[in-house]
Amino acid sequence: MNLLPGKYRYVPVLAMVFFGVAAFTPILNEPGLQQTFAVAFLFAALALTYDLLLGFTGLLSFGHALYYAAGAYGAAYAMARWDWGIIPAGIFAMVFATLIALFTGATALRVKGIAFAMVTLAFAEAGHVIAVLNMWGLSNGDQTLQLNFDSVPDFFLGVNNTRNLYLLALVTLILIYVAVWWLTQSSMGRVLQALRDNEERVSVLGLKPFNFKLIAFVLAGVMAAFVGVIAVIVTNNANPVMGSTQTTISLLLMVILGGIATRWGAVIGGLIYVVLSQRLTTLDTQGALSGLPEWIGGPMSEPAFILGVIFILVVMFSPGGIAGALYRLRMKFGSSVK
Amino acid sequence: MEIFITLFITGFGLGALYFLVASGLSLIYGLMGVLNFAHGAFLTAGAYATWYFTTSIRADGSLSSYVISLFIAGVVGALFAVATEQILIKYLYDRHIDQALVTVGLGFVATSAYLGWFGSDPLIVLPPTQLYNTVQIGDAFVGIDRFLYIGVAALVLIANFLMMRYTRIGLIIRAGVENRSMVTALGIDVRKAFTFVFFIGGFAAGLGGALATTYASGVGPTLGDAFLIYAFITVVIGGMGSVPGTAIAAIVVGTTQVLVNYYVQGLGDFVVVMLLALVLLVRPQGLLGKVAH
Amino acid sequence: MTKALTLADVNVTIKGSHILQGVNFEVEAGVVTGLLGRNGVGKSTTLRSIVGLVPRVGSIKLFEQEISGLKTHEVIRAGVAFVPEDREIFSTLTVLENLKLAERDKNPDYDTVYNLFPELLKRKSQRAGTLSGGQQQMVAVARALLNKTKLLLVDEPTKGLAPKLVTEVADALEVAAQATTILLVEQNLPLIKRIAKNIIVMDQGVVVHSGVPTELENPEFAKQMLGVSGGSH
Repeated sequence: MNLLPGKYRYVPVLAMVFFGVAAFTPILNEPGLQQTFAVAFLFAALALTYDLLLGFTGLLSFGHALYYAAGAYGAAYAMARWDWGIIPAGIFAMVFATLIALFTGATALRVKGIAFAMVTLAFAEAGHVIAVLNMWGLSNGDQTLQLNFDSVPDFFLGVNNTRNLYLLALVTLILIYVAVWWLTQSSMGRVLQALRDNEERVSVLGLKPFNFKLIAFVLAGVMAAFVGVIAVIVTNNANPVMGSTQTTISLLLMVILGGIATRWGAVIGGLIYVVLSQRLTTLDTQGALSGLPEWIGGPMSEPAFILGVIFILVVMFSPGGIAGALYRLRMKFGSSVK
Repeated sequence: MEIFITLFITGFGLGALYFLVASGLSLIYGLMGVLNFAHGAFLTAGAYATWYFTTSIRADGSLSSYVISLFIAGVVGALFAVATEQILIKYLYDRHIDQALVTVGLGFVATSAYLGWFGSDPLIVLPPTQLYNTVQIGDAFVGIDRFLYIGVAALVLIANFLMMRYTRIGLIIRAGVENRSMVTALGIDVRKAFTFVFFIGGFAAGLGGALATTYASGVGPTLGDAFLIYAFITVVIGGMGSVPGTAIAAIVVGTTQVLVNYYVQGLGDFVVVMLLALVLLVRPQGLLGKVAH
Repeated sequence: MTKALTLADVNVTIKGSHILQGVNFEVEAGVVTGLLGRNGVGKSTTLRSIVGLVPRVGSIKLFEQEISGLKTHEVIRAGVAFVPEDREIFSTLTVLENLKLAERDKNPDYDTVYNLFPELLKRKSQRAGTLSGGQQQMVAVARALLNKTKLLLVDEPTKGLAPKLVTEVADALEVAAQATTILLVEQNLPLIKRIAKNIIVMDQGVVVHSGVPTELENPEFAKQMLGVSGGSH
């Protein structure tokens, strides 16, 4: 479903242009803020790839972080251990992630619903274990696999170049957005949405649901891997948290928060999630919560606490997330504006 | 051989802890179709209750204080679970995905609340000295705490069996797992059974949390999350809604994990998740789960 | 005539399909009323809407009490018993456990049940899932007869049963009819003629006719209303 009527269709484009220009103005000039937004853009992109599964195909995966981590670790490994440049390392990482997504997807898609969610969780957890425990010396464990600075161009290195990283992340988000938009509008995208709504009807047409779901699963995985490659450049490392269930769950939160199956809902959810979690921490260190009693101030200083509460409220009272709420507002008041 | 015995009983003990978490998960899913991601938070609540009781209320380090703290942890877990059902789950009746999402959110909220209240470092819980003793089996020496986990889990399993077999609420739960709407069509308010399974599930999880403080030598905000993933795996392998299946799966998961981990660090965790994938693919309903007709 | 059940403008929509489109009828107290119609016209949905197993809009009165706002278990406790189309016995429970689950009255009437179906007494410890189809149907009917009810809703109790068992179920319903009101969905027209006093015919989500079973003697009527040539016999 496309919740954006004609006259709002250019809002996402305007927003992206705004974010691009803002980096050159005092609004978003500070490197710390730029770094926050760069990470936010990447998570927004990641949330979009997750929405391709959850919203547009109806697949509830608890293992999406695996492909993000595979992309990040694949690239970081090729750069650190083989001294490859970023481009070949990135390509290697995406091929690596594709193979993993093909194998795990083909296996997991043999079951449905909760069982599917559990198998994907299991695969991701297996990957996470490899990363955490540095099995076979692959990952460096909690020490993280650091970016090999010789492998990337100088203009992506150092605090002075944070703006370039910011722009790189923004371009990544735009690329993923366009890719997801194109995919969901394509005839395959329509098959996927038909699958989500009624699988039998699609089978009756002689199309094989399994193949379509696998393609969607692999494409979402490859795009997540791409974001992972960029994340290595932006954050300078690949770390085990990337592949944790927590990461997938935060993607789930972002998509639900923003509004499922709307594309820009996932983007807004991702941006809000990351910016809020970083800024709320700042709020606390600035002493904004010092007046509160400890039993409430303690949890309030944890961004995840507030985000979680908002998430629960959204699920209970505003199905469809922020996008759904805006949509209902427009249904209520919008017709008179027309 | 002695190493094998020690590892096997340790794994059995870990499996007992998994069972305490998983039995509630399994019943809640079987009866209500809710995959409860907040179950780990119930466990952690019980663990913190044990820490508080044994360090601030009766810090004498005695066995009796420890036993009382187990009970209190169970009650705390149960109350948390009932509150969850009454405040959040109840209002999303038959919206299964939303119910699962709300529990995801609650787990998130609870973990960060624990972090805010107790900090990220694990708080140390010292078990009574009696639990440091070992038992000799053949040539092997095994920590006595392992047998405590197994004993408590066995008690819960037996209590569960008796409750299911000989009480009316047990009858309602068994029938409800099979066909919930027909239970209501016999004039039974099945929502009371929902609250009840949350109560007993939360109690077992809280109990598991208390014992987990001994197993893990303390409690941190994510203690429950670590157990939750393996409890999920246990539930799915055992078959949703089947408590005996859960018990068998818990032993398989716990012993496999500990044994394999001994030989290759981390490989046990890996093998267990692969085991889950394998079981689901060969037998999607789990070992003893209800078969979809 | 006293009305045991009155439906007024009952509508049911499931997943976008408007299945009941304003159902109106009355059921006379103390007798058996047959609810007839072709497959898929909404007979089962009507029964399920009365007990609240499907979301419904409209007025449903049990004698003088409005029950359309009640939850399923409340409707049952108001004095309704429901025997669903596919029996829906609990296959993992024993026969006795199935019956025990259905107990609501202080003194559930096991005597009547075991007199009608001595087979169930013999097999009370057997898992219900291992029973034959006919025996499962006995369990389903027995569950409804254990308690005193104002209204008994029975959905195709003889479907797929051997003739001998059809007779047995019919006998049970006749015994039950002495104490309560029955609304019976049934394709077996001879059975309707034998035990029903009134009939109601549905088509495409609405009631199209109310009358008496003798009308079924007319082949034209049967053909037109039910799409069967059930008039012979």
